[in-house]
Amino acid sequence: MFESYIEDYNEAVYEIDKESAIEVVERALQEGVTPEQVVFDIIIPSIETMMAEIVINADTNLAQHFMTAQIAAEVTEKMLAKFKVPPEIIGRVVFGSSHGDLHSLGKRIVIGCLKSMMVDVLDLGVNIKAEDFVNAAVEQDAQVIAISSMMVHTATGEEGSSRVRSLLKERNLESKIKLVVGGAPFRFDHELYTKVGADSWAADGVSAAKMIKELILEVKAQ
Amino acid sequence: MTPLEILSATVLGQPTPRVPIFCNVLDQGARALNMFPEEYYSKGEYVAEGQLKMLKHYGHDNVWSASYVGKEAQLLGCKEILFANNGVPNVADFVLKSWDDIEKFEIPEDITQHYHWQSTDECLKILHQEVGATHPICAYVTAATSLPVILMGMDKWIELVIAGPTDLRDLLVKKCSDFVQQQIAAYRTAGANVIIYANPFATTYFLPKKLIVNWSMPWMQHDLKDGIDNIVFYGGMAPINAVTEMVVDKLNVNIFYPAPEDDLIESKRLIKPGNGLTSGVIDDIKMIHWSQEQIRNEVKRIMDLGKPGGHFLFGTGFMPMAIPEENIIAMFEAAFEYGRHE
Repeated sequence: MFESYIEDYNEAVYEIDKESAIEVVERALQEGVTPEQVVFDIIIPSIETMMAEIVINADTNLAQHFMTAQIAAEVTEKMLAKFKVPPEIIGRVVFGSSHGDLHSLGKRIVIGCLKSMMVDVLDLGVNIKAEDFVNAAVEQDAQVIAISSMMVHTATGEEGSSRVRSLLKERNLESKIKLVVGGAPFRFDHELYTKVGADSWAADGVSAAKMIKELILEVKAQ
Repeated sequence: MTPLEILSATVLGQPTPRVPIFCNVLDQGARALNMFPEEYYSKGEYVAEGQLKMLKHYGHDNVWSASYVGKEAQLLGCKEILFANNGVPNVADFVLKSWDDIEKFEIPEDITQHYHWQSTDECLKILHQEVGATHPICAYVTAATSLPVILMGMDKWIELVIAGPTDLRDLLVKKCSDFVQQQIAAYRTAGANVIIYANPFATTYFLPKKLIVNWSMPWMQHDLKDGIDNIVFYGGMAPINAVTEMVVDKLNVNIFYPAPEDDLIESKRLIKPGNGLTSGVIDDIKMIHWSQEQIRNEVKRIMDLGKPGGHFLFGTGFMPMAIPEENIIAMFEAAFEYGRHE
């Protein structure tokens, strides 16, 4: 029985059918599944399935990634309100688009997935200065700064992640805060993240969430 | 042969001395004039002068009309563009703040009378007069199913396409498609002889194939209802091989500008025999950090794959301003050397 919820939910997400996905969740709740089970046994595994699918099936597309994240975030938020005990947060990430960059799609995909994976996200918005990333990460005790850039000059510019790296170094924060990047320029040049001082990158928003979660755990394990 | 003759002969599969070499050194034109992009794009004469300087400097085959991300948005009411000194501009003011704005959204009755068209027109007139008889003059048109991205932002548009009311979505696309038809006609009248028709929302990188078949393709047919002469299908740097056969079949377009990620041998196989061509596009973001030797090797690799059988053009992507000048020169030298037909 429970398997059918997972199967139906995954199918709805894969077909980008938000309405059906929410129907599956509502049906599961009505039939006695707890909100905790919905999040941990349906939503999070579904994101992980999508992550695996991206690796083996190049036919997944941006619309699927975006809607997977949005549906997951929406359902998770609804379920969290119904949890008997608030869930343990894995860690915290400060997120934004780089200085001079007004794009937000990639950021929204990653944030949607992270929220469902019990990662606390502070979304700084778009066109964020390097100093603001670092200050926010320190104030919020975040383990990761994530910077999204859709254009080459905002990905590689002096006011972007290169500057964040310099600030982390100057303030002796490099072991406490990891820096990750993403966006179109990094997809074209897989080594570009090293040139801008980042610790890691991911080719798509869904995989990025997984990579950020691993970095948070790495920092916390120190 | 002139570059225009080389291009035409290549499309027809006739003998040419070399492969056509297309490049987008639009933003580099600003640097050649010692201008920041905002000033450069403010007047068509500046862009034309920059393009002609680039043509003389590098000797490639094509020039571009005055165009940047957001120019189409300005023609549709965008009030603010965020210019950068070292890269392409951003749209800073979305014309459609919410889905509710779609109903009252209007396209200009005649874009050629619009303030923001004048610099384009001026640029094209100069280019047409100077090199129109000898060189391809390119213009960039965003397809109706992708145009709303610069009107409302990518995330809002994907939400509407995938999960929003279809009547509202198609109302907006209809308005955009009427604008696309106007724009293509205006470009042709002003002297552009190659129309780069960009549609990321007809690629499987963005959308499921089913939606492309049932939704994107019919709107593309509407966009191009006045003819497909000199139309080049481009995915906006998203891979297009997965939809190429569909574009050939449904639109009869047979000139393609794939992404660097596309398998070039497959791209060549997919074009219809006869009139047509496909392109081998270098990953120019890698050119920022590549050595000149790496660039030469990559150009050679692309030429070796693309040249056999003809119907092939060498091209670039957006050519970021961060690419060092010596790397651009290395690319052109290699392209002219390895692009020669024996």
